[in-house]
Amino acid sequence: MAANGAFGRVLVGVKRVIDYAVKVRVKPDKSGVETVNVKHSLNPFCEIAVEEAVRMKEAGLATEVVAVCVGPKKAQENIRSALAMGADRGIHIETDEEVAPLNVARILAEVAKAEEPSMFILGKQAIDDDSNQTGQLLGGFLGWPQGTMASKIEPVSDTAVHVTREIDGGLETLELSLPAVVTADLRLNKPRFAALPNIMKAKRKKIDAKTPADFGVDMASSLQTLEVNEPPVREAGIMVGSVDELVEKLKGDGLI
Amino acid sequence: MFALTSSALATACRRSLSTAAPALASLYNPTEEHELLRQTVRAFADSEVRPQALEHNREEKFNLELFRRLGSELGLLGITVPEEYGGSGMDAVGAVIAHEELSAADPAFTLSYLAHSMLFVNNLAVNGSHEQKLKYLPKACSGEFVCGMGMSEPAVGTDVLNLTTTARANDDGSWTLNGAKMWITNGTVSKDRELGDAFLVYARTAEGPKGISLFLVDKGMPGFEPGAKIEDKLGMRASSTSGLVFEDVVVPADALVGEVNGATLCMMRNLEIERLTLAAMSLGIARRSIEVMNNYSTERMAYGKPLREHGQMKAHLANSYAEYMAGRAYTYEVASRLELDSYGNQLDTDGVKLFAADMAKDVADRAIQVLGGYGYVGEYEVERLYRDARLISIGGGTNEAHQNNMSKVMARIQQFE
Repeated sequence: MAANGAFGRVLVGVKRVIDYAVKVRVKPDKSGVETVNVKHSLNPFCEIAVEEAVRMKEAGLATEVVAVCVGPKKAQENIRSALAMGADRGIHIETDEEVAPLNVARILAEVAKAEEPSMFILGKQAIDDDSNQTGQLLGGFLGWPQGTMASKIEPVSDTAVHVTREIDGGLETLELSLPAVVTADLRLNKPRFAALPNIMKAKRKKIDAKTPADFGVDMASSLQTLEVNEPPVREAGIMVGSVDELVEKLKGDGLI
Repeated sequence: MFALTSSALATACRRSLSTAAPALASLYNPTEEHELLRQTVRAFADSEVRPQALEHNREEKFNLELFRRLGSELGLLGITVPEEYGGSGMDAVGAVIAHEELSAADPAFTLSYLAHSMLFVNNLAVNGSHEQKLKYLPKACSGEFVCGMGMSEPAVGTDVLNLTTTARANDDGSWTLNGAKMWITNGTVSKDRELGDAFLVYARTAEGPKGISLFLVDKGMPGFEPGAKIEDKLGMRASSTSGLVFEDVVVPADALVGEVNGATLCMMRNLEIERLTLAAMSLGIARRSIEVMNNYSTERMAYGKPLREHGQMKAHLANSYAEYMAGRAYTYEVASRLELDSYGNQLDTDGVKLFAADMAKDVADRAIQVLGGYGYVGEYEVERLYRDARLISIGGGTNEAHQNNMSKVMARIQQFE
């Protein structure tokens, strides 16, 4: 599989999400959040995954970076962002259905079987549903080792990588044999700004158009959303004049 | 018929200013590349440019390091230059997007960008020979060179065709320049008056308004010195402005850009994109001013309710937004039909700057009014934007010059489309 790079192709999962700066509002019928006329962008953790894959290619470790996206027609913009950052081509599995981790992982597993990558890098979670499941499910479907929430990825040979994870007690380093699934944490890298010459080049890069049916996956979700609500409004605090008064208040409220 | 339901109104209010209706979105971002350009420049402006603006304004200091990153990291310095010379091959709309987005973070920094990328880089890309472009553009596009353009003089501004800097032809084909230029952005690039790396300089080569030629002049040529660094400007203080002095500066024959006595054509071509991108800077100033006053008027309470619920504040907000959008639509409409190597669009390239400059000044003024005392101090941004906005009715053509030009063109038109 390895041609020029120490290992071969790297696939990256990219998801279209509501932009992090948007104040999300619940729809009046409580069926979900408002998405119409709301700014969307590439999920920040996916951006980190793309950056990592592109750096691997620049370092001569990866031969090709492919951005894979399951999402609506407009998600093509977000694939284009990944191409502008340096991914070589895209695969767009178009669907207007809800993009739930289980179905996405099923599709990505089929894409992986067809593309035979050395590594599949995903964001550890998407900032819309915060599921943190797709990478793990994908590893399960493929039977590949997985290193989730990676803060560092270091190749140790052309058949294995070390993945460092931030865990409660400190840092944990795993050795994964390739092919493997890795999910990116915040501190893995700082994604670049897409340079204008690369933006111009991105339009000449190819995006394959597919559907979930091409991979034999039914997008119907096994989960049903009953109701979506705004988080409860936090009550205003009070100012106290002294530590004594604070202690008295806490005691009075039965908190200490 | 015109009643908006409260929920529709609420939806409209929730939209960020960047999310326009689909038809207008295509005017502002006609292609996916324009959309990505806007995203990347806005992200850079928010995280890298705005945080340094206040400090560099206070110190009256040009941020050279950040400027170079516009080239090395973003590829913005040669935005309109073909790829073969190290540029990005974008159009006038792309140039407008870059100026608008950068200016929303720091107009002074953006002015230095404009002087380099439009007045030098685009000017040479349009008017220079293949050899001249190969010699200068790759370095100017990467950020290795910081460049500028010299047209105004101590006693010549709007009446630029009366300029007095001279270039005398020598027997060996070279030229000798004498005279002085004034108000040159990027003339010097540091506090200790280090010259910019290369300049396009307009100089007289014959009597009369057509007797003007354009020359490339490099830092280090004997007799080429910086004039005074102009301090204490009202605004644009983080952009370096200087005089340039030419004392028997000998430039080689191949430093002549275009034809002898042919520089009025270069000038006309380049003034159009200059005015358009200055208008774009005004749009950035206006948008940021609106964002600041809009958010402040939601958060600040007076008489038990948010400022925005007071009628007088509503007028400031709504009038500012409507005027901004009018200026924005006009500017992008003109940008969408401007060919970079053409001229003859003066009516509207003067028109957009005439309108947008005063619009931004008014909007920034209202932002100060909405913020009250906070608006009057530097930390709240609009004080700086207000001062920076003021330049654009003067630099790159005074309002009076635009009115003069436009009136002349309009005299030839009986009916408007």
